[in-house]
Amino acid sequence: MKTLIIENLHVSVEGKEILRGVDLQINEKEIHALMGPNGNGKSTLLAAIMGHPKYEVTEGSITYDGKNVLEMTVDERSRLGLFLAMQNPQEIPGVTNSDFLRAAMNVRREKPVSLFRFIKAMEKTIADLEMKPDLAHRFLNEGFSGGEKKRNEIVQMEMLEPSLAMLDEIDSGLDVDALKIVARVVNRIHEEKGTSLIIVSHYDRFYQLVQPEFAHVLVNGRIVLEGGKEIIDRINSEGYDWIYREYGIEPETAEEKQRPKISLGACAVNKGMK
Amino acid sequence: MKRSVSENEEILLSPGYSEIVIDAEKPLELNFRAAEKSEVYIRIERAQDIRIRTETEENASVSYLFWNAAGTEITVDEEHHVKRYGTLRIAYAEINQGSVKRTAMVTLEDEGAYALVSSAVLCASDKHFVVDVVSQSPHTTGIMENYAVVLEGGKYYMNATGKIVKGAYGSESHQTSRALCFDEKQSSTILPKLLIDENDVQASHATTLGRVDEDQLYYMQSRGLTQKQCTSLISTGYLMPVTRFIEDETLKTKLQEEMERKIADL
Repeated sequence: MKTLIIENLHVSVEGKEILRGVDLQINEKEIHALMGPNGNGKSTLLAAIMGHPKYEVTEGSITYDGKNVLEMTVDERSRLGLFLAMQNPQEIPGVTNSDFLRAAMNVRREKPVSLFRFIKAMEKTIADLEMKPDLAHRFLNEGFSGGEKKRNEIVQMEMLEPSLAMLDEIDSGLDVDALKIVARVVNRIHEEKGTSLIIVSHYDRFYQLVQPEFAHVLVNGRIVLEGGKEIIDRINSEGYDWIYREYGIEPETAEEKQRPKISLGACAVNKGMK
Repeated sequence: MKRSVSENEEILLSPGYSEIVIDAEKPLELNFRAAEKSEVYIRIERAQDIRIRTETEENASVSYLFWNAAGTEITVDEEHHVKRYGTLRIAYAEINQGSVKRTAMVTLEDEGAYALVSSAVLCASDKHFVVDVVSQSPHTTGIMENYAVVLEGGKYYMNATGKIVKGAYGSESHQTSRALCFDEKQSSTILPKLLIDENDVQASHATTLGRVDEDQLYYMQSRGLTQKQCTSLISTGYLMPVTRFIEDETLKTKLQEEMERKIADL
């Protein structure tokens, strides 16, 4: 059983603590929804699991399949079976999708995949995601539309066959038809390969299509509420206010973003911000 | 046509493809003349000082790929002349260990002359370039595209000047220079210059010099590639376009494989 276990995770970005003690367990083949208002740490949690250099783990542990993930480099985590479909996939000019994917496939196998088998697999995956056939020869994400980038993340997921995939707002930028295509492929990979999933989304529609069994709500860097599908349904119809009310939580992010107000007149008499 | 050159020579290029291997123990002087459509692959295996002079005749179109494979330091002094409506393309591939000191002066002599000078440099030694493209007549075009990947111990110097003299109206001068650095123990200098003495012209330059983006590396590593594999892929993508003038697919593949090997060996 490959299980992801996160205990008391604290993560800082540029000296500011974003996660303040997160506990989470994801078992094999499970689908989890990670919810919460913007700016409360959902993407931070996924980036910390994948190992983004800017996200500093100050306390706590992450293990996967019994191995200490925090000791591993980003590429080692990927080869261990972790995958993150990113919110903003990078554009890499000069490197074609096919060269990149072939290299990424070869690092996880003893014998390199033959060119013939690779091309066949790539063609099938591109067709699954209903993308243009020239995708293989285009530079990685360069000049892609928002929706194409998101679909290309799922192309990579299908080709690399991770055992745990994290989807960070994969549905933003996708139209309804593309959303259905992505959900269909994600569901199929989950069923055929037993891939566990952590899904961050703001829209109920994607959760309706993928059907997570578990939901976690992150507020102020902590998981304040856990449960099943009923949480997703209630957040969808009522938003997050009931959670603040029922659990006595004060959301911090909104206040912190407010800056002292200075009128133009105040500036003119030299009372600007110090 | 493939031949080896070790002595001074005047070479009249025949139409089509030719290959020249420079293997010279002493200083060498080569003069090329092209009157039709030619494509030349010049591979420098061994040399010290080379003087090269090319003439692109009226309406001729010629592409030169200078592939430096020398193991030791070489000095190259070049002069290129482009006549009326002639088209000259020069590509320098410098992916070898040996240092180079190269000076190239391209003169667009008559109306309608066109020159494109491009370079791809994998720099782990001293790679020094001074390139001038001068528009002397109306409606000429000079373009420079310089790409470098600078590694530990590398010293990259690119002094690129596009010049349009008075009276050369309707001319264009454009240049792009990009240096990608992987290490702090290197030095890169790019001096892009435009010297324009005429009003009715189009000119531009773009320069970037910097390290590989941290988020790009993270993205590629998150798919399982080691840092070294990422830098090889990015470098190959950066430098490979220098072979684009080559029409012969077999040669192109061979050169690309040589480049990939060199980059993978780093």
